[in-house]
Amino acid sequence: MQNDTPQVLRNRVGNMNEPAGMAKTAIEPQDFTGLQARRQALDAYWQQGISGYTLLRKHSDFVDHHLASNFEKNAPAGDGFALVALGGYGRQELYPFSDIDIMLLYEPSRKDDLNSLVEAVLYPLWDSGLEVGHAVRTPEECIADAADDFFFRVAMLDARLITGSETLFARLQKIYKSTYIEGKRQEFLYDMLEQRQKRETQYGRHTYLLEPHIKESCGGFRDIQSMLWTAQVVFGLKNLASLEEAGLLSQEELVRFEQAQNYLVRIRNRLHYVSGRKNDQLFFEHQEEMAQAFGFTNQKDMLAVEHFMREVYGHMQTVSVTVDLFFEHVEEVLGCDESPKPAKTLEPGIELRHNRVYLVNTELISNKPQLFMRLFYQSSRTGKSLHFRTRKAITANLHLVDDKLRSSRRSAKLFLNVLGGSDSFRVMEEMLDTGFLTAYIPELARVESLAQHDIYHVFTVDRHLVQTIAELERLQEEESNIYAVISAPQILFLAGLLHDVGKGYGHGHAERGADLARQIGRRLGLGDNEIAVVDFLVRDHLFLSHTAQRRDLEDEELIMRCARQVKSPERLAMLYLLTIADARATGPTVWNDWKAALLLELYLKIALLLDRKDISAKEQVRGAELGAQWIREKISELAAENITINFDLFSDDYLLSFPPEVIMEHIIHAKKLAKQDVLFFHEHKPESWSLLVMTKDRPGLLANIFGVLALHNLNVMAAKIFTWADGTAVDTIEVASTIEENYDNQNWQAMEEELGLAIQQRLGLEYRLSRKLVSLRSRRQGVQQRLASKVTIDNKASELYSVIEVFSEDRIGILYDITKTLSDFGISIYRARIGSKADQVVDVFYVLDHDGRKIEDPAFKKELHNGLLYAVTNQ
Amino acid sequence: MKKIEAIIKPFKLDDVKEALNGIGIKGMTISEVKGYGRQKGHKEIYRGAEYIVDFIPKAKLEIIVDTGQVDQVIETICQAAKTGKIGDGKIFVLPVEEVIRVRTGEKGVEAI
Repeated sequence: MQNDTPQVLRNRVGNMNEPAGMAKTAIEPQDFTGLQARRQALDAYWQQGISGYTLLRKHSDFVDHHLASNFEKNAPAGDGFALVALGGYGRQELYPFSDIDIMLLYEPSRKDDLNSLVEAVLYPLWDSGLEVGHAVRTPEECIADAADDFFFRVAMLDARLITGSETLFARLQKIYKSTYIEGKRQEFLYDMLEQRQKRETQYGRHTYLLEPHIKESCGGFRDIQSMLWTAQVVFGLKNLASLEEAGLLSQEELVRFEQAQNYLVRIRNRLHYVSGRKNDQLFFEHQEEMAQAFGFTNQKDMLAVEHFMREVYGHMQTVSVTVDLFFEHVEEVLGCDESPKPAKTLEPGIELRHNRVYLVNTELISNKPQLFMRLFYQSSRTGKSLHFRTRKAITANLHLVDDKLRSSRRSAKLFLNVLGGSDSFRVMEEMLDTGFLTAYIPELARVESLAQHDIYHVFTVDRHLVQTIAELERLQEEESNIYAVISAPQILFLAGLLHDVGKGYGHGHAERGADLARQIGRRLGLGDNEIAVVDFLVRDHLFLSHTAQRRDLEDEELIMRCARQVKSPERLAMLYLLTIADARATGPTVWNDWKAALLLELYLKIALLLDRKDISAKEQVRGAELGAQWIREKISELAAENITINFDLFSDDYLLSFPPEVIMEHIIHAKKLAKQDVLFFHEHKPESWSLLVMTKDRPGLLANIFGVLALHNLNVMAAKIFTWADGTAVDTIEVASTIEENYDNQNWQAMEEELGLAIQQRLGLEYRLSRKLVSLRSRRQGVQQRLASKVTIDNKASELYSVIEVFSEDRIGILYDITKTLSDFGISIYRARIGSKADQVVDVFYVLDHDGRKIEDPAFKKELHNGLLYAVTNQ
Repeated sequence: MKKIEAIIKPFKLDDVKEALNGIGIKGMTISEVKGYGRQKGHKEIYRGAEYIVDFIPKAKLEIIVDTGQVDQVIETICQAAKTGKIGDGKIFVLPVEEVIRVRTGEKGVEAI
């Protein structure tokens, strides 16, 4: 068509790519012998510091020169042959490993002389190892072939005569134009849009993928080219500069677009070199090397590669947005909207036009900057996108977004309305793409196009934030049950939008993000409570996933701590949904069933605990206090009027270990202890038999209790052992019988009697047990020793007590042996946690020695350790 | 040579990895798996909604070692992965016929 498509552009940008002082003696194509020397030629150009468009042009000239000389040496006498370059080569844009598309054009009458010429031109090309796309056609064949090949049709737009018959080439151009261009503008546009659509489906709709494809991705060369082709066919505009002259691009848009385009050229050049083949995808493994080649270095808060990728994404985003706007413009000009309704006024200055929200007069916005937010609000309310001219107007006027607008309560209200609205994701994306979001919330500027160099984060941070909104919208449906708990969705969405706002400063992004989020929340006029929730969600947005994957979810203390941190079911629901949305919005490898199962388990455990603790409490009480204080109040409410409760008796730990009703029962039972030495209760629960023993604490108490249990064939599943400050022992023990399956057949009465005797030291437990157990124990010898027993005595775990942990194989009477040993050493047990599941025991005792001190003396400590080890292994 | 497959609780993964590094095991394959054994799945009811956890998430480690090292590796995994509660996991030991390093073609113990 025309030989000079990118000429203007080359003049504009070409010089930028040649480093000063590098242009020594120019190397000419004829300095090399034949096409085989192409590699050397490229290396030589590269050595000279030639890059960007200049390199593409040099490369193209080199191939031109050698193809032409082969052609001219071998062309039969007379007219009727032409060598034509197509596609990228036709535009004289030849990347190091690009395909070379050529066509040998001939007059039908010269068919007989064709063979020798084809050999002379094509064989050297093949020998050079280049990827060659070639065809031999008459002009008429060209037209016929182009009919059902879209790519050939557009490749013809860039056709360029390398050498040969000018009249033949001119004839081709003429019939091509009359067949495919004149009167076919709209069809051409549809074809182009359809191809673009296909590309989006195949390569993704976004410019910020982990491994962007410089050619095919959104914002890549195909986008650039489709705009230029369309401009050429539809408007007869030959280059970017004429797009600006025609008013399709503003001066500023043109400059940014050219910068972007030029940057992408340099990347693609280098990418071919780095990969050593025709590769247009910026693979993860190449990104670091590319970053270095482009002169980036690692900084304290950002890696070189992250800096580099940020530039890449930024430029691709520029291309993508510009091309989007261009196509919307063309569609409007060609009247593709089939049923144009008349414009409808939405509010003064804003209309619904062509199904788009339209700002009637751009000037309005400078007098009334509130219109920015009104436009997005209308877009959210109507569910219609902003008109492309309106989007351009917003981008061009961002300087009007000032502190006054940012702290306007009215705008803030609309913003939150949009965030919590039904079309939140789409509108947020338009805010981001127009640049308004960053103008309105400047704290987000730091994460704009910010890449994170690892294989998990597929999106740049700003995209990830908007993507999180999309995922929250999905969860609204999928987890409607959980979502229903949330009274202020816009707060959750705000937290979703801001959760990573602290990135780009190095470590600790959650804490920094929370500080920024508070500042933003205050500016948006949120109440103190709402700010506190946003702060919590941003600060702890990784808390649930870290806990679920790294901590033991069967540790009740852990769940209790989580509940205390989360505070209320509503905050838990928000954090849970944010955690899922965040993970899903990060990338395809981050979220899976496996992680979902762990997170759900944690969620349910905390949720059930929170529910248990505050059945009727008001929301505010829930939020403020969940600890022991709350339980105290609850118990006071439960207490009958004539009962006075001395709360000093109870440790927090005790209060948090039982439901308030149960503690109330303990208190009532305790009154009877004045008359009766030992209280014994038993209860049949679904999962175990539950025993409660209350009495005055005394040496050897636990050993006596456990001894009686062993005598009655009861295995201890779990136990909570507490001592009130007045010396009342409250021991809750979950047991299962080793022989009796029926709860009612158990001889509870005999047991109660023996328990009383044993506690009062009037039962010969030792001899009774040894007689009972001797047979059992001898039988089990030998199979026992696979799992080593272990005893640890820790003085750091608790402030007040020494903590003794005993791990061992489970067997009848083992707890008796352990507690008897402790008692023999004069050790008092203040608290115990007995866990014996499956065939293993882990018992934890909080103890002090007979003087009420921790077990610090090394010799005594060792003796106790050995004594316990003996008790659990050598019986 | 033996292949050791260990199914452990997910939160113990870092401890086990560290412990294995401590005895000179530098390479392993780790995957997220789900299943059940004695620790069955369960059903939770929360606010009227039913949540069924039918398979329990676990981490799976695969390590190839020289036969002489098997006992030490097993002991190390047991120690590090143990909480004493149900569901701590299992270890399987399988014979391995051959190991080949793709890059160099080295075979046998050299290639581990």
